[in-house]
Amino acid sequence: MYRLKATFIKEFKLLSVDKTGITILFIMPVFLVFIMTLIQQQAYKSMSQSGVPVLLVNRDRDSLGTAVERGFSNFPVAQLTVDHGERYPNEDAIRKEITNGKYTVALYIPANATKILEQNVEEIMGRMFNKGQIANNTKVDIGIIIDPTANKPMVIAITSRLKQYLADVKTGVLFNIMGSKIAGMMHAEIKGGMPQEDIFSYKENYAFRDNRSSYQPDAVQHNIPAWAIFSIFFIVLPLGGGIINERSEGLFIRMRTLPGSYLSLLSGKLLAYFFIALIQFLLVILLGVYVLPLVGLPVLHIGSNIVPLVLLTVVLALAAVGYGLFIGTLFDTPQQSAVFGGISVLIMSALGGIWVPMNIMPEVMQKISSCSPLNWALRGYYELFIKGGGWPAIQTEVIKLSVFFIVCLAISYRIFQHKTNTN
Amino acid sequence: MEGKACIKVRELSKQYKGSSYLAVNKLSFEIYEGEIFGLLGPNGAGKSTFLSMLSGLIKPTSGEAEIFDHKLTTDTELLKRIIGVVPQDIALYPTLSGRDNLLFIGRMYGLSEKELKDTVDKYLNRFGFEKNGSNAVKTYSGGMKRRINLIGGMLHNPKILLLDEPTVGMDVQARTSTMEFLNEVNEQTKMTIIYTSHDMEQANTFCDRVGIIDRGQILKLGTPDGLPASEGCKDLETLFLKLTGRKIRD
Repeated sequence: MYRLKATFIKEFKLLSVDKTGITILFIMPVFLVFIMTLIQQQAYKSMSQSGVPVLLVNRDRDSLGTAVERGFSNFPVAQLTVDHGERYPNEDAIRKEITNGKYTVALYIPANATKILEQNVEEIMGRMFNKGQIANNTKVDIGIIIDPTANKPMVIAITSRLKQYLADVKTGVLFNIMGSKIAGMMHAEIKGGMPQEDIFSYKENYAFRDNRSSYQPDAVQHNIPAWAIFSIFFIVLPLGGGIINERSEGLFIRMRTLPGSYLSLLSGKLLAYFFIALIQFLLVILLGVYVLPLVGLPVLHIGSNIVPLVLLTVVLALAAVGYGLFIGTLFDTPQQSAVFGGISVLIMSALGGIWVPMNIMPEVMQKISSCSPLNWALRGYYELFIKGGGWPAIQTEVIKLSVFFIVCLAISYRIFQHKTNTN
Repeated sequence: MEGKACIKVRELSKQYKGSSYLAVNKLSFEIYEGEIFGLLGPNGAGKSTFLSMLSGLIKPTSGEAEIFDHKLTTDTELLKRIIGVVPQDIALYPTLSGRDNLLFIGRMYGLSEKELKDTVDKYLNRFGFEKNGSNAVKTYSGGMKRRINLIGGMLHNPKILLLDEPTVGMDVQARTSTMEFLNEVNEQTKMTIIYTSHDMEQANTFCDRVGIIDRGQILKLGTPDGLPASEGCKDLETLFLKLTGRKIRD
């Protein structure tokens, strides 16, 4: 026990005089979480608040053009500029503005679009009632010009909305023409046009595991656990490097002449780094709960299941420490361990859904993703922070992370035995 | 000086994996309790391998050694408590102070905090670290590091101290002080000291007995004064060169 205590104290003393170590372990994670959350929240906010710059060239000036114009002027995703063909008489002029980056999306409604639409509908109706051929099948050419670098979901939102407005107008025209035809056949009179009331109602509901109702997930809930996990796994750099330095210098000889096995000495080091990982996590959580709201970001909700949260964090810290031990045992120079350790954590984090949400990854990548320990931890925190789950919801992740830790220990032990038995 | 043997080496051999020769070849001799024993030999003679086996760093290929009646091959953990080791390389954390390095080593032996702090302070003062014991080791000169390295092997008051070239890199003052201190410790506590060195003059004045080792075998064993005389040499260095040759070793 005293050996554990001695190594534990020594590790914290070493860290206390290591400015780079303190920066890597505590300052950078907090800074990273702060910056990433701020950027993502601001990006989301700026897109949803000020919207995407959209140019609407409406040369129709009739009901179709007016309906689209009115619709987009009330659509928050679009930051609308309307032109009636004075400034942008043709598609080339519009294309030039998109290329220059002034607008992200441009919508072009040609002159007489409403008239052509009405003619088409008339003819369709005539065909339906008279079984004749459509004489004029001229389509209404609506132009959509998109900046190739535009945010895809935003573009989809705008084009979908456009299609909806067009469909509404088409339905209205269809309804009016059909109504007058039916009225003519029945010798009745139509009073008023097509009803404007929406006959559907939509209500978004999140499938939380607990009974919360008013809460809505935001960037903070996603970013804090994701970047906290990423930062904790970067513990492999100082831990792996420290193990290698001790092994490659005279210290290793000293260590092995001290009472107890070298592995028992390593335990003290691992314990120290385990606590460091917990402190890292605590700092990031405190940042989310108390600091981020001060700069206008939402408060981090950690849920009400504290025991499962502690359990998950403990096994996450163990997994990170175990991986650091593996790196420190496998490699012979701090440079090797830093490069491999750093890049492997980056790869595992990319696979684990830290950088890009898993659900937008290709199916193959999603399957690979589920092999990343960072992904297991992330799923666990999403369960606790976002879905309101408890122990049953995270037990698989806890078991996976525990097994990962044990496997790292076992492999490291074998490598260590192999390396020390060579003499 | 001849007394009770505290280390009995019997046919002790070590062959490293992949090596075609024995680094230590059936060594058999005794070291007496309370003596200062110098193991002298050229590079690659087997001095460090022998000390590494005694300190439990490597296992012998064959043979045995008994240290205070404990077997080297089976009682390794127990022996670690009665042996102090001063490695040839500086075995210290460069960013920690000399004092913190020593406190760490002492804690590893389970010394109580008060006892440990008193012992560390005593040694730091004795070795001239009154003012800079709290400075980082990386700011020390080579000699200062060697002295802290030496103290690290003695904190738990071992019965046997193994020193692998302890004064390399020290200036004359530090070297003299260190050797005087080791003599003082040896006289006061009867601590057995086994040390390796290339410095024949130092071995001559410091050691009670010396063994000249080459190619894993003890070539001659005796007192620093008596040994050269018995071989018709004027001093230890002449005898050493006579026995080990003038060819430069790797």
